[in-house]
Amino acid sequence: MASTPSKSQILSLFRSLLRTARDFSDYNIREYTKRRTIDGFRHNRHVSDPSSIAAAYSDAESQLQIARRQVIVYSLYVPKLKSVMEIKHA
Amino acid sequence: MASRLLQTLKTTSPTCRLLSHLSTATAVVAKESYEDADGISMKGVKISGRPLYLDVQATSPVDPRVLDAMLPYYLSSFGNPHSRTHLYGWESELAVEKARAEVAALINASPKEIVFTSGATESNNISVKGVMHFYKDKKRHVITTQTEHKCVLDSCRHLQQEGFEVTYLPVGSDGIVDIDQIRSAIRPDTGLVSVMTVNNEIGVIQPIEEIGKMCKELGVPFHTDAAQALGKIPIDVEKMNVSLMSLSGHKIYGPKGVGALYMRRRPRIRVEPQMNGGGQERGIRSGTVPTPLVVGMGAACELAMKEMEYDDERITALQKRLLNGINAKLDGVVVNGSRERRYAGNLNLSFAYVEGESLLMGLKEVAVSSGSACTSASLEPSYVLRALGVDEDMAHTSIRFGIGRFTTDAEIDRAVELTVQQVEKLREMSPLYEMVKEGIDIKSIQWAQH
Repeated sequence: MASTPSKSQILSLFRSLLRTARDFSDYNIREYTKRRTIDGFRHNRHVSDPSSIAAAYSDAESQLQIARRQVIVYSLYVPKLKSVMEIKHA
Repeated sequence: MASRLLQTLKTTSPTCRLLSHLSTATAVVAKESYEDADGISMKGVKISGRPLYLDVQATSPVDPRVLDAMLPYYLSSFGNPHSRTHLYGWESELAVEKARAEVAALINASPKEIVFTSGATESNNISVKGVMHFYKDKKRHVITTQTEHKCVLDSCRHLQQEGFEVTYLPVGSDGIVDIDQIRSAIRPDTGLVSVMTVNNEIGVIQPIEEIGKMCKELGVPFHTDAAQALGKIPIDVEKMNVSLMSLSGHKIYGPKGVGALYMRRRPRIRVEPQMNGGGQERGIRSGTVPTPLVVGMGAACELAMKEMEYDDERITALQKRLLNGINAKLDGVVVNGSRERRYAGNLNLSFAYVEGESLLMGLKEVAVSSGSACTSASLEPSYVLRALGVDEDMAHTSIRFGIGRFTTDAEIDRAVELTVQQVEKLREMSPLYEMVKEGIDIKSIQWAQH
């Protein structure tokens, strides 16, 4: 049985997810991953029951693994043009 | 290790671009489109970047989590789920059954009631033609609405050519069908009532629970096309009392080319199969079940169940932002369809005194769809807007904004800015708008005939 993750472990996982999100080449996916991570962790801020904390932590860990894999896949097929949202307009 | 792989990719990409430049020099065939670092020119339009995507009703991007679930079945686990004799078949079948349970869970059905098809169009075909062909000796009448998807309307027309009778019920100006009209249209030989849950063009939600309750009382099978509703509003086949439901994969951030059909077991509804063959999917739909696509649809459904509340909150807020932004700067903007009974992610607006085609040409940095079919070959406005009773000129200027899971606040603001800019520019040039500003009532003008 996994022990309850410590505060520093949770923070470290949060930062890893945000760092991974930054590497997405697609504008929409990048913004979504950042936003979903922040909202997801914020939503679980007040969870106090240790088994729920452990469950949420392991869920976030598997999401991190998925995100890492997909960052690589997306970077293999970057379209030549960027999104208009990434191009500075007058 | 992943970062090192990324480094190698980033350093080789300029060489790749050089190679592609060399190859395009010889590709003289594709003259209508060229791409360089500054922009892309296609079909006579030059844009500087990929447009921001606000057309989620047409299709949605595949969620990276869905793609992650699908890829193994394109790589090593490529087996046919109907191969009974080896591991490849067994693991593939396990994946299909898991996906089936995930789809069933989203609509509160049993996995035994889900049949995988190639999409909602095929599911609609099986429902309409399959049911009526099975019961053709006793039941000769179908009831549907005028705002249904083309595949339902076309299947009904096909049935009419075979000798069945079809009643196409009108809808109110808010897009909602009248239940009493359905009740009075039902005859002893009515074999099917088909009403879609969420309309793809205007986004209105039909009163499916009330219709289902009535159909159950009167003993008529009820089919609903839930392609736009799945994963966006809560669906419960028990509460809705539906006998058949069509589902689509690529509208809920899943892959294209897959869909499902829910068929009730108690009381059992029977259909005549439209695809004959080896008897897969309980004989309803023969053909190898495409494991990666089906796994993708299952993953998308599971995600939708988890994310529905979060997405709905965001999309409702974004819709308000879009509408308020446009209404703050422009007048003469009409929302097509009911304001109360609508799905937030679908906003169909008509801009008065503006010509539709020119508006779309100006909005090339925003990927939207127009309600009218003027972007296709025919010049007729959309039949859905016509069924709502919208005037021809307003129907021509309708734009459908689709907001989805991946839409950002910045995209909405940019879309508002571009739309307002383009509409103002067109109205500036419009003599009709000048007359309206002076207070002349356009409808009372007697146009001189030459």
